[in-house]
Amino acid sequence: MATAEKFSGVEAKMNSQRRALAQSGTRQNARRMLRRLLFSEYFILYISIAYFLILAIFKPALYQPANLSNMLANAWPLFAIATGQTFVLLIGGIDLSQTSVMAMTSVAGAVVMVESASATVLERSPLWGHLLTEEGGVLAGSAYAVAAAVLVMLLIGMFIGLLNGIAVARFNMPAFMVTLVSMTFFSAVAIYLTQSENIRGIPESFLKLGNGDIISLYVGEKASKITRRDILSFITYPALISMALGFVGHILLTRTVLGRQIYAVGANRAAAAVSGVPVKRVIVLVFVISGFCAAVASILYTARLEAGRPTLGENLLLDVVGAAVIGGTSLFGGKGKIHWTFMGVLFFVLLSNSLNLLNLSAFYIDMVKGGIILLAALTDVTRTRLLAREA
Amino acid sequence: MTDTILEFREITKTFFGVHALHDISLVVPRGHILGLIGQNGAGKSTLMNILGGVIRPDGGEMLLDGAPYQPRSASDATRARIAFIHQELNLFTNLSIAENLFIDALPRRKPLPLIDRGTIRRRTEELLDSVGLAVAPNTMVEKLSPGERQLVEIMKALSIDANIIIFDEPTTSLTARETEQLFGIIERLRAAGKTMIYISHILGDVMDIADDIAVLRDGELVAQGPKDDFDVSRMIALMVGRNLEQLYPIRETEPSDDVLMDVQNVCQTGIVEDINFTLRKGEVLGVFGLMGSGRTELARLLFGLDEFGTGEVRLNGGSTYNVGVSDSIKNQIAFVTENRREEGLLMEMPIADNLALVSLSQFKQRMTQFIRQDDLAQAAQDVTATLQIKCGNIASQPAKSLSGGNQQKVVIAKWLMSRPSIFIMDEPTRGIDVGAKYEIYSIINDLAGQGTGILFISSELEELMGMCDRILVMSRGEIRGEFARRDFNKENILRSAFREENGHESL
Amino acid sequence: MKASSRERLTLLLLQNTTPILFVAIFLFFGVQSSQFLQPQNIENIIKQASFIGMAAVGMTFVLLTAGIDLSIGSIMYLAPLVAGQAIRHQGIGVFPALLLAMVVGMLFGAVNGFCIVKLRIAPFITTLATMVGGRGLGTAITKSRSLDFPQPVLNFGRSEVLGIPLPIVVFVVVVAVGHIVLTRTAFGRQVYAVGNDVEAAKKAGIKTDRVLAGVYVISGLCAALSGFILVSQIGRLDAPFGKGDEFDAIAAAVLGGASLFGGVGNAFGAVIGAVLVQMVQNGLVFTNVNLYLQPMIQATVIFLAVFFDSLRGMRLTKLRRRYIRIPTDRTAAQPPRVDSARHGIVSSSGD
Repeated sequence: MATAEKFSGVEAKMNSQRRALAQSGTRQNARRMLRRLLFSEYFILYISIAYFLILAIFKPALYQPANLSNMLANAWPLFAIATGQTFVLLIGGIDLSQTSVMAMTSVAGAVVMVESASATVLERSPLWGHLLTEEGGVLAGSAYAVAAAVLVMLLIGMFIGLLNGIAVARFNMPAFMVTLVSMTFFSAVAIYLTQSENIRGIPESFLKLGNGDIISLYVGEKASKITRRDILSFITYPALISMALGFVGHILLTRTVLGRQIYAVGANRAAAAVSGVPVKRVIVLVFVISGFCAAVASILYTARLEAGRPTLGENLLLDVVGAAVIGGTSLFGGKGKIHWTFMGVLFFVLLSNSLNLLNLSAFYIDMVKGGIILLAALTDVTRTRLLAREA
Repeated sequence: MTDTILEFREITKTFFGVHALHDISLVVPRGHILGLIGQNGAGKSTLMNILGGVIRPDGGEMLLDGAPYQPRSASDATRARIAFIHQELNLFTNLSIAENLFIDALPRRKPLPLIDRGTIRRRTEELLDSVGLAVAPNTMVEKLSPGERQLVEIMKALSIDANIIIFDEPTTSLTARETEQLFGIIERLRAAGKTMIYISHILGDVMDIADDIAVLRDGELVAQGPKDDFDVSRMIALMVGRNLEQLYPIRETEPSDDVLMDVQNVCQTGIVEDINFTLRKGEVLGVFGLMGSGRTELARLLFGLDEFGTGEVRLNGGSTYNVGVSDSIKNQIAFVTENRREEGLLMEMPIADNLALVSLSQFKQRMTQFIRQDDLAQAAQDVTATLQIKCGNIASQPAKSLSGGNQQKVVIAKWLMSRPSIFIMDEPTRGIDVGAKYEIYSIINDLAGQGTGILFISSELEELMGMCDRILVMSRGEIRGEFARRDFNKENILRSAFREENGHESL
Repeated sequence: MKASSRERLTLLLLQNTTPILFVAIFLFFGVQSSQFLQPQNIENIIKQASFIGMAAVGMTFVLLTAGIDLSIGSIMYLAPLVAGQAIRHQGIGVFPALLLAMVVGMLFGAVNGFCIVKLRIAPFITTLATMVGGRGLGTAITKSRSLDFPQPVLNFGRSEVLGIPLPIVVFVVVVAVGHIVLTRTAFGRQVYAVGNDVEAAKKAGIKTDRVLAGVYVISGLCAALSGFILVSQIGRLDAPFGKGDEFDAIAAAVLGGASLFGGVGNAFGAVIGAVLVQMVQNGLVFTNVNLYLQPMIQATVIFLAVFFDSLRGMRLTKLRRRYIRIPTDRTAAQPPRVDSARHGIVSSSGD
């Protein structure tokens, strides 16, 4: 009965819509649609979909399963870092040090768990002979090596975030300068520790975190032997880890006291303090979260690249901040959401991927990327201005 | 010789179909001071923005010296020698006085593109002389007090040789002494033949200095005439549009004897000294002091916002507490700050988020620690209704879209949600219009009726005398006097506030 | 008053952190190595500092308006690149090439300014995008190969004026011009005004759009000059040329007292900041510190400077609050003398 009622309700609504459509000019309707599209918080998602569909006509390679799988694989680690950045942007800060957190944790994790190391490559490292030998890292071969490495990586990420947070909250230092310094400092530490060499020999069980898959597909002709390369993974460990992180972040922001306090600090720090928000603690926590997220991303990248890399994440700053901002998060604090950032990440990954597919030489990709970011920022500015005029 | 310098003829302006100004015809005689009053939203700023060329009228015209005047930009108004002195000063604190005066058109030493510093120094010295400010022209504005900065603004008006000067709430951030100085200068400007329009909520000031008074209400000019035709109660009646029988609502209840807060020997070096008082249940305790007397500082350190020196605060006859904002909130103390824009509200965020801020932790689910969103929304809705906050959807409408009075109600409401037993209110009626003031007073009386103790801090003695059971008088960081309601006497209280000032700050 | 004189000493120390740090580091390395103090080495330090220093002068303009320019590293790469292409293919001379590089830098800055002023995109995003895009454009032109500059450019780079190496001469000129523009011209003072309060600047009749766009053009010009002079020293332009230099320039400007929040800073500060950073790097070479450790020590020095600066800010706020019971010197010394002022109102034109 209830279902039937509901159903007839829907039908009535549809009828009335159809009538409205017939009555008013289609032009006016189109304009209304366009406005709803433009003002929707999912605007960037619609743009991505439209871009995808249009491009798919010209480049069928875009929607080939192999490419889709590849795109997703690129999206997950980026989403993990961008989640952390979103938290910092929400309080009106910025975290430039995420890239160095990735480098630092990548190296540290490798030093804990690698099963062997090459003397010719790493001899000059100050760790050589103590923490790192021909036999591998500190816990090489131990059953707990991987777990310990993950733990160390997360702790280091949180620790760097903690230092940033204390400098910003307790000493009122500008977040930009603090994280700029820690970016320089910790990436220098990572490079110093390895003398700018990659550490190979990551244990197989850790690599699973980067390439382990849960749902994979083989798309192709029937064959007696399918090579590993032809099996395409869609739901992978990185996907689960990243989504879980994003989900927890989302819940934290929308459902908990801390989340509401983060928005309040970003919107008006002084008013938040008067209202009993522990502003300093909130700021410190936000930077710790950012460091944690960067460490998670570092785990995913380290596993995927199968090496501890002292230069990991070097060129990621644009992608991270760009993804968050394109999703709609404000650089001035108080405005932003995790799922917006996710849409921004998808847009970014799609953009890079499509530029590759268009056979643009790698040299042009950055150029176009820069232009598109400006364009996206411009639409956001326009939207906000139009919205303000509406109000 | 009272010829007309400026005339508004049937000025009309609509915003989104609503009349902001309707058929305003107003004559400003040369050399007079016109007091322009009206509630917020009555159209004062719209009219002045039209005069200043910021917006253009939909109908009507303006005559300046008998000739049509149609400004299209702020610089047109400047060229017509009309100057504005706004409530928030438009000075650059990182530049010198001289640079501030000429920043838009710094004279050059031709043919070089360099500033002719000699010229601007000379002209600045002349201007400094004319307002009686004894500092060097290259003094940085950041080193000046609010009153001195106000003088620099006046110098700006003089530097364009303005014939008409508009003062928009010029005394908001001035001390009593600085206000007196300002009035002295206004007098001298009048003697020099300048015409002025003086806008203020402080009706006593308007009565003191204006020659003519014009009252706006809902975009219409409801009265205009020489000052002698008006008195304060008539001005209020005209502004509000009805006779306010009483400026202050009557409270039916009496304070009880239970002490809510007992402050003993509170000191903070350089700020407050030896503060002792008690606040009782259901009591409205006024704190009066001039600007810089330490009234705001006392409130801030009692609430735990600023560092606490020595001394003791006992609550409910027993427990002392470590002063800190979160302790205060836990102890059911609420604090309405004097500046709601900077410290009161999250202007860009929805009303509901503002309301929830203080009491978030009371809406936690015990198991998950998640916020009980529905309960919170309901509570916010309830308090909005209780205080009759006029707004649309509280979940989406940003706080900045509300009128000043309703914004202040949101600030009070957010504290009400944490059910405080002590309310510290610092200038709760500052910058809001007469009607909204009355509503805030009623809220205060209701709270007191329910047993809340209220520490009511204000620089307007009349409202304290109208509302409080007792008044403490502060000066130089000390409590210099205490008056019970039956002893309220304006002169005695003021004398107490000015004591030992050696005539320096005497009114 | 005793306590307050001690306070004043602390404040004086905090207010001059960078010079104190500067002297301390200079003395430290001087004691460590006598070679460090050789005039030849000091000249070398200043020469090496001049590249970041020039860019930092431009960055100071931008920071003064509370903006930021992340794209200068790419401008340092792109501007000499275009000039180098013109030398190679059009065979233009060194000076036209220098001019061309400067024009390219200004155009690049104008693009930034356009996006920020007309399209109202935040400076951080704008310049982040043009940073990536600009370098992309450069690598697209060169196909990521390095570009060698002919001998005349190198000769130009090694030329001296009165025995002073060219980079130092150009650096001095940039700083002097920057200083004069900031302190003595209407534009310069308006830069400070805009940085202090954009809205008030608009109301005061300042053409804020022109000022804001102008600082990015200046920043682009300084970066282009810096890039060209640097390339004239080494003769070769690689793909990562100038990468990350934007951060060094920001650090130098901030060390020199520029605030990220606008309104505070000066051109000489950029000199002190840039030389300080370079001095640390140079000194570390003399003390045989591992090459990879140097960025860490530099980062620490920058951190200390910013740290002390914020301590000063906190101390100042605290001091400012204490005025109720102890009247400050200022109000005691100069009470506004309204009553004793001369009568009459100045009016320049008799009416």
